[in-house]
Amino acid sequence: MRRRSSLPVTFLVPTLAILLVLSMVPTLYAIVIALQNRELSAPGYSWVWFSNFADLFTDRRFLNAVWVSVKWEIVTVVATMVVAIGLGVLMFEVASPRLRNFYCLLFIIPVLLPRVSAAFVWKFAYHPLYGIATYPYRLVTGGLIFDPLSKPGTALFAVASVDVWQWGLFFAVIVLKLLETLPPQPIEAARLDHAKRWQIHAYVTLPMLKAPLVSLMFVKMIESLRSFDLIYVMTRGGPGVVTETLDMYAFSQGFIESGKVSYASAMAVLMMIATVITFTMLWKRVQA
Amino acid sequence: MKPIRPSRLIAKAVLALAGFLAVFPLAWTALNALKNNVDIITRVPKVVFTPTLANISYILGRDSVLTGLYNSAVACGAAVLIGIVLGLPAAYAVARYPNRFAGDIQFFVLSLRFLPPVAVAIPLMVIWLQIGLYDTLPALIVTYSLLTISVIMWLAIPAFQGVPKEIEEAAFVDGYGAYSVFWRIALPVAARSLIGAIAFSFVLVWNEFLIALMLSSSNAKTLPIVASELSQQGMNVPWGILNASVVLLSLPPLLFLGVLSGFLNSVFRQKKS
Repeated sequence: MRRRSSLPVTFLVPTLAILLVLSMVPTLYAIVIALQNRELSAPGYSWVWFSNFADLFTDRRFLNAVWVSVKWEIVTVVATMVVAIGLGVLMFEVASPRLRNFYCLLFIIPVLLPRVSAAFVWKFAYHPLYGIATYPYRLVTGGLIFDPLSKPGTALFAVASVDVWQWGLFFAVIVLKLLETLPPQPIEAARLDHAKRWQIHAYVTLPMLKAPLVSLMFVKMIESLRSFDLIYVMTRGGPGVVTETLDMYAFSQGFIESGKVSYASAMAVLMMIATVITFTMLWKRVQA
Repeated sequence: MKPIRPSRLIAKAVLALAGFLAVFPLAWTALNALKNNVDIITRVPKVVFTPTLANISYILGRDSVLTGLYNSAVACGAAVLIGIVLGLPAAYAVARYPNRFAGDIQFFVLSLRFLPPVAVAIPLMVIWLQIGLYDTLPALIVTYSLLTISVIMWLAIPAFQGVPKEIEEAAFVDGYGAYSVFWRIALPVAARSLIGAIAFSFVLVWNEFLIALMLSSSNAKTLPIVASELSQQGMNVPWGILNASVVLLSLPPLLFLGVLSGFLNSVFRQKKS
């Protein structure tokens, strides 16, 4: 009965066709634009083939953006996982079921906020004179000024803290739910062997959750690629180019500074190739 | 009574602090939205002040904000609707009619999420400019549909797999056709998880910023773009107004808090069994 139905074809084919068109047209067109020398201000263009790509590799601002993006990726992914596992384990250990539900609800709130909202909330909070987050510093030092978003040493971390605020707290909820799905016997056994609480988690529960935790990290790595909103609102890539990630630089080349759409597209194409290759390989390993 | 161990006490304090940090910045922003500028620009944060509704009424009276709200609602609503119509049936087909390509289809749908938004937005901007649809809602809706279809499909596959097979088999035996099993059995039984998936896709496009920024210049600006522009009114930042606009922008996703946390719970309850 099931076998002979036309349902799989009528349900799948239109959707997949539309998805293919919607994703392939822009992808292929991005490559076409990258091989030309289009600019926003001028209507004409010609084919320049790979010269945009060649220019990129001698562009020090581009190389800086690659490095900033890598740093952003590492800082946000590691910090998110540390916060998530730490808070998840703490909730599992010391919170009663009712308290757990309450914390879970609180911890989901930041991730639901639009990135633009989260960025503004913290931009106010980090304001050197009137911010609520810098107030304790002003209080302790008797009115000294600390401006985390405009200091080269702290700007990237200040923006990253917002990302971790959103995702780390949310993932803590998921880590707790994962811990709750574990069978209680191995934990009991470890307890009978006089294992300490932290030892139980380090050697028993977390290794048991290795596969879902790795998947979680994979999801965070993908979501960390979307740093643009936070950086655009909070620092615009500044001070200087300290927080200028690849998408921020591509945007400013294509739209703010020079309107070099083709040059920006070449950057986007390189990003696309790098992420698709990396994540396809990682995904196959996660699945295996 | 047993004495409480200090390590437990510290753990509880850390948790309480994290809970506080989760909501306090947002609550403070909401409070600032009710303040006059004088009460915001103070070296020592003010907790006691005379509240004002001036910021909120200013925001709600601005044409740009109302247009942004309208654009966001239409673009997100339409894209989610398209996502439901195209994504749910496809997810059901993958979940219930396994074939050789099922794994590849799932990976293809997920891989759409790897595409950097800039890489999609730049060529689409050029394309929409060429066919004269740049800065219109239809262009935004089509672009967002790529997001909503793939996300709804990705989340709905496990939701349909969670429907007990026996119920569907019984319906077949009763003479239902494949389509009416989908309509009358699978959809209603999986409804709770499906609503979670749909709410998630709505939050995702409502919060979207980069694509909307690149695909609109005046007519099709969504609320996040309008809100971000309010902050660029020179040195004399209208703090209260900005805070009010952030609150307005954040409210719709927060309405889904209950639905989404219920969705999370149901996902993990399935795993347990």
